Amino acid sequence: MPDSDSPPAAVTVENLTKVFKAGLGKQAFVAVKDVSLTVQTGEVYGLIGPNGSGKSTTMKAILGLLAPTVGKTTIFGKSSTEVESRRDVGFLPENPYFYKHLSGLETLLFYGRLCSMTGRDLKDKAREMLVLTGLEDAANRRVAGFSKGMLQRLGLAQALLHQPRLVILDEPTAGVDPAGSRKIRDLIMGFKENGITVLVTSHLLEQIQEVCDRVGIMAHGSMVREGRLDDLISVENETELVLANASPDLLAEIRSLVESKGAKLVRSGHSRTTLERLFLEATEEPQ
Amino acid sequence: MFRSFSPARIWTLASATVTQLVRMKIMAFLLVFCVIVVAAGFAFPVMNPEQQLKLLKDVSFGALQVFSVVIAIVSTALLLPRDLEDRTLYTILSKPVPRYEYLIGKLLGVLVLIGAGLILMDIAFSAVLWLRQNIVFAQALAALKQEGTATPETIAQLQEFVGRQGLTWNIHLGVLAIFLKASVIAALSLMISCFASSTLFTVVIALLTTIIGHGQGLIREYFLSEGMNQMMKKAGSALLAVITPDLGVFDVVDTIINGELVSAFSVGVMVGTAAMYVTGYAVVSHLLFVEKEL
Repeated sequence: MPDSDSPPAAVTVENLTKVFKAGLGKQAFVAVKDVSLTVQTGEVYGLIGPNGSGKSTTMKAILGLLAPTVGKTTIFGKSSTEVESRRDVGFLPENPYFYKHLSGLETLLFYGRLCSMTGRDLKDKAREMLVLTGLEDAANRRVAGFSKGMLQRLGLAQALLHQPRLVILDEPTAGVDPAGSRKIRDLIMGFKENGITVLVTSHLLEQIQEVCDRVGIMAHGSMVREGRLDDLISVENETELVLANASPDLLAEIRSLVESKGAKLVRSGHSRTTLERLFLEATEEPQ
Repeated sequence: MFRSFSPARIWTLASATVTQLVRMKIMAFLLVFCVIVVAAGFAFPVMNPEQQLKLLKDVSFGALQVFSVVIAIVSTALLLPRDLEDRTLYTILSKPVPRYEYLIGKLLGVLVLIGAGLILMDIAFSAVLWLRQNIVFAQALAALKQEGTATPETIAQLQEFVGRQGLTWNIHLGVLAIFLKASVIAALSLMISCFASSTLFTVVIALLTTIIGHGQGLIREYFLSEGMNQMMKKAGSALLAVITPDLGVFDVVDTIINGELVSAFSVGVMVGTAAMYVTGYAVVSHLLFVEKEL
């Protein structure tokens, strides 16, 4: 039982079920089945799963964009059905689109005003967000001419503009190049350092692994695994040892010691970098 | 402190809607209107003075009606489905914005655009009509003098006639009637777009309802006049009024073109009817939209 004096969890989802009604003669579609999860304040929570697993529906229910068929969702203790619950939330949808007739800066001013921001404070914050997301040069360009990656960064800027306590990111790296993707990862790490709660979905599991404290894995509308990332991915009966500058003699010695003690060496070999790291190192090298 | 009703948020949405429509070059219609008015004002100098002024008013009011009805239907039909298709709605409604504020903001934006457009066109129309009535008066006076019939009585008659057919407050009341009618059509289109599956569906249904709404009086007269008791007539009229707005209430333009005055009572009826329909459609829109799954 949570302590009644402790601050409420950033997000709670209790027994969420969402059924979409179909037309006449068609069967209703169950998008989410009895899903429960809790995101504690200051935590980075990753919601992962294949396409159609119910991640986006769960996120929409949390944001109050969809009404649950059964169950309830809250944000900082307030029901998602209350508009006030969205005051401290920044949301980046998957492949965001904005009013094409507005410029980058005008877009941020528009969203800022919707969050009751005004005057110099709003303008300064909008400029700050454009710099943070690397869009300062596109401030006065119409959104219609933005690339997919730029739209994604603008989406992130509008989500962070009003300094929310909770940031919900739906596939934040979709359509973004590896460098931009790494930047978004660094931003999420920065949120964590500043105590901002993050709920993120991504198909890039390596990134989720790098930034998340806890993860939930969804499949066919249900939560199939949930818990601390370290607990979920650790293999109980295996131990990893990484050596630098080990001579062949030393390795042979270790191998024979392992066998003499009744243990088994599962694998050995050179550590490998990731393709992402290799790409970043190669593309960031000075010409 | 969160406020559940914020005029500032509504205005933010309304002004973004106005900017969107203006940048879609919708106001280019104003230029076309000016050309039509100038052409109607000066293209037929051989007609008699009454015909010249009537034709100018007829063509100008026709263009004003087309502008307001087209903008009311098309721009309103574009707004909500497009926001939904583009998923712009997600980013807006994930901010602390109640859904009714979103709807009011969109409707207000369309009404501001139509209102501003009508004011600009009214100014252009009034200027051309004033210029034309002075030219017509000068020409008629010259003709009277040439015929030798320019007595104080005939000149006074001419002045009275041109004054009645020329620029009067009645012209602006006609523009007000057009605006009120457009407000009702815009609110109706918004309501349809809340349950419609596409922009095209909204446009077609709104257009059909508008056409039927103009002929509501005729329909009532034809179907509800004979062989019905009073109760059935009332029920039939009420049903018709619910299905389509009675747009005939706003048709005062012909009266104005003929130089007759629009009474204060008629203006009151128009304002009251428009307020009733706009409020009614806005409430139904909210009830439909608040339940909409995004």
